[in-house]
Amino acid sequence: MTTEITVPTDLWEGDTEGVITAWLVNDGAEVAEGDLVAEVMVEKAQYEIEAPATGRLGIAKEEDEVVSKGSVIATLEP
Amino acid sequence: MTTTTKSASRKLTIARAMAEATAQEMRIDPRVFVMGEDVGPLGGVFGNTRGLHDEFGPERIRDTPISETAFIGAAVGAASDGMRPVVELMFVDFFGVCMDAIYNLMAKNTYFSGGKVKVPMVLMTSTGGGYSDAGQHSQCLYGTFAHLPGMKVVVPSNAYDAKGLMTAAIRDDNPVVFMYHKALQGMGWLGTEKGATVAVPEEAYTVEIGKAAVAREGRDVTLVSLGVGVHHSLRAAQALEAEGFSAEVIDLRSLVPLDRETLRASVAKTGRLIVIDEDYHSYGVSGEIIASVAEHPGCRLRAAPKRVAYPDIPIPFAPTMEQWALPNADKIVAAFHQMLSES
Repeated sequence: MTTEITVPTDLWEGDTEGVITAWLVNDGAEVAEGDLVAEVMVEKAQYEIEAPATGRLGIAKEEDEVVSKGSVIATLEP
Repeated sequence: MTTTTKSASRKLTIARAMAEATAQEMRIDPRVFVMGEDVGPLGGVFGNTRGLHDEFGPERIRDTPISETAFIGAAVGAASDGMRPVVELMFVDFFGVCMDAIYNLMAKNTYFSGGKVKVPMVLMTSTGGGYSDAGQHSQCLYGTFAHLPGMKVVVPSNAYDAKGLMTAAIRDDNPVVFMYHKALQGMGWLGTEKGATVAVPEEAYTVEIGKAAVAREGRDVTLVSLGVGVHHSLRAAQALEAEGFSAEVIDLRSLVPLDRETLRASVAKTGRLIVIDEDYHSYGVSGEIIASVAEHPGCRLRAAPKRVAYPDIPIPFAPTMEQWALPNADKIVAAFHQMLSES
């Protein structure tokens, strides 16, 4: 089953949009549940996004793309 | 802080790579500690001490008042007395208030003491612009520091080199100035350069200080740069390839010592030299590189060398004016075309 990586709704206060500043794993690589995979910046503060499951990473939002809470930024294929 | 990704293709930003190198050295060497403005709970304005305060606490990760003269001077004293401090000058532009501590104390105490006193410290400092932070927060000043004897100077262009150079700098018995470009930190608001975020091994390793890297091999022209300029050069090389020209890109990585051998070997092969530097045009790195190649008796240039550097003006605040002044890939390609038309 494909798992979506979304921006957690409690990652930062308020509903401000953020930007993906770095992917810390290559597109197509295998990642394990709990791995740090990306960084999102909101008003000069950075937040970490972890993989919610184990699988092959498919990046949906590249660096510099704007994201909101709940945005799907990647998928994980088992 | 060790980034907890087990994937073999784990990548780090330069900010994370610097923090990871520092943490790994602090775990094995109790003499290593960090001082600077906002290096503690905030994790550094540029992210390069993130996680360190949580792991090592306020005794070894010390937030300082805004008094660079005092804490850099204190670091020189600590280093002379057997510690291995890593201190941060938040923006290199602030060097004016603390230069005596840097170049009269840090850089010269070993010489003045006849070699009896070692000063094993790392001075890390941010460089560069591109995000409209104006003339007191955007300079590179590579040439200013590389000009003064007594300290090593390194400038990483990617996270792999940043981690290896930081580990090497902390282990070095000489003072090392570690100059990191803000646009390569992976901090978003300072610019995003994907090429700087690369695969980095989890274990500690060193990158030898004083060795340049051939970032791309080529036959027709040598592009020499450092820091963010390496990424401009790689993009220019790609554009030139589409025109049928093969450009070699040299990443200096270290200004002191300067790897003149690698420069000369590359230009001996290509016969053409363009230096790309975000520091000021005159009296700086670009002039030194060209002189180092041209003064060698074996030098055979097929064309007069060129430089794509920052114009000799204070850095403008207005985005359109700043972007006009910065080096970029288009300017490098244009310099190469100009070179061909002249020779």
